[in-house]
Amino acid sequence: MTSATVTGIGLVSPVGTTAAEVFEAVCNGRSGLVRPPEGHPLHGVVDAAGFGPAIDAASVIPATEARLVDRSIVIALRAAEDAIGDAGIEVGRDVDPYRVAVVIAGVGGLQTLTEQAVQRSQRGRLGVSPYLLPGTLPNMAAARVALRFGIRGYTSSIGTACAAGGQSIGEAMRLLRAGEADVVVCGCSEAPLFPTFADGFGNALALARGWSDPTAASRPFDRRRNGLVLGEGAGVFVVERPEFAAARGARRHADVLGWAATNDAYHPTTPRPDGSSAAESMRRALRDAGLSASDIGYVNAHGTSTRAGDAAEAAALRGVYPTQTPPVSSTKGVTGHLLGASGVVEAAIAIMAMRHGLLPPTHNLDDPDPACELNHIRKQPLKAAVNAVLSNSFGFGGHNVSLVLGR
Amino acid sequence: MIDEIRQFLLGSLTEMKYDTDDVDDDTPLGPAGVDLTSLALAELAMRVEDGFGVRFDEDEAQTVAVMTVGELCQAVAQRVRAESAR
Repeated sequence: MTSATVTGIGLVSPVGTTAAEVFEAVCNGRSGLVRPPEGHPLHGVVDAAGFGPAIDAASVIPATEARLVDRSIVIALRAAEDAIGDAGIEVGRDVDPYRVAVVIAGVGGLQTLTEQAVQRSQRGRLGVSPYLLPGTLPNMAAARVALRFGIRGYTSSIGTACAAGGQSIGEAMRLLRAGEADVVVCGCSEAPLFPTFADGFGNALALARGWSDPTAASRPFDRRRNGLVLGEGAGVFVVERPEFAAARGARRHADVLGWAATNDAYHPTTPRPDGSSAAESMRRALRDAGLSASDIGYVNAHGTSTRAGDAAEAAALRGVYPTQTPPVSSTKGVTGHLLGASGVVEAAIAIMAMRHGLLPPTHNLDDPDPACELNHIRKQPLKAAVNAVLSNSFGFGGHNVSLVLGR
Repeated sequence: MIDEIRQFLLGSLTEMKYDTDDVDDDTPLGPAGVDLTSLALAELAMRVEDGFGVRFDEDEAQTVAVMTVGELCQAVAQRVRAESAR
């Protein structure tokens, strides 16, 4: 099958806003996780969280509309600006506006919706802003990107929880292969750092707890792991038909070679313990890419640091690789779990790993859990020339997405 | 009353991040003047309702959209007087 070329990358994360910064952090164990400071609504709610940089909403949308807009939309716009700038493409000059698509995933502006619900209960109808819907709907990140850049083609969001960012890249590939677009701006943005959402994860027993050192709280595949650490962030790629990118002389970061999505059909939040659907997602992605399992030189695991999730992913990987897996790491020990956005940020990390021949380790993997036996990269980055990588993203709802990327 | 309403409207527009430096009674609220969008007009109407207890209904939105600042002041004052006469 035809591949898709990544020509632009834009990131907002707790460890940097460029692919180079993020890659340096995950290679060197420079954690982006902190204890929420006193005065922050999350202080005392979670032991650790990954905060992105402050970004003024008025820097990405008109000031008159910036007073009620969720942070997920603001950081999506910043990442999209950076990705489109990185790709060096101008819609209208370099590409027909109707031949550009936007797919920005995420859960939408739940923090702002929650705050407005409080206003509604306190002040009645007049507490609700007329800007509530444009400021919070899950399609609005994509719509704002289209508005900002004059993009007039297919525009959508994807709602598959923590698999959504990876799936946005897959959806971009599908649009390019179907001939529906020449260029797709794709990605995901999540802003989950507010008490109601954090308590939702915490009460579901999904959050890391009991860690006095916030940088130790996220420890994928480690025996002492006890939950994920929430982070906020956005990742946006510009992907193009390879012929289109070549014809305009675009710089090429990497190619998306294949992808696949499956569902566990097991439980709303608990992964299928044998990892069979996740394994099938990986196998199908490899087949879509026209590669065999042995062609993969690095796996960027979803590895969120939950007891059940990491064990199920390890089982899935052992299903695809019965004897020895390729070197595997989860970079969430450093970044925290950026929910859907993690799929895009981690695809960027995987691209950087191929470019530099350097595979990042799993931070805090001091004592690998025997239930998570894999060919782990620990302590230090691993030097290795790699031509193809696999990146997994799994989400509540049983969603499994696997991407195959190549140099 | 009119002065109070004018001050309220200009304060609201400032809070809504509109530039009011050159705004006077003759400035249209629409594209030729302050350039309020439909959502901004809706917010201004809600602020007026919150501040003065008078309401502009949905079917009056088009009427308000073509008013000047001074005309809106008068319309609000008229409704306040009508309400207090009840």
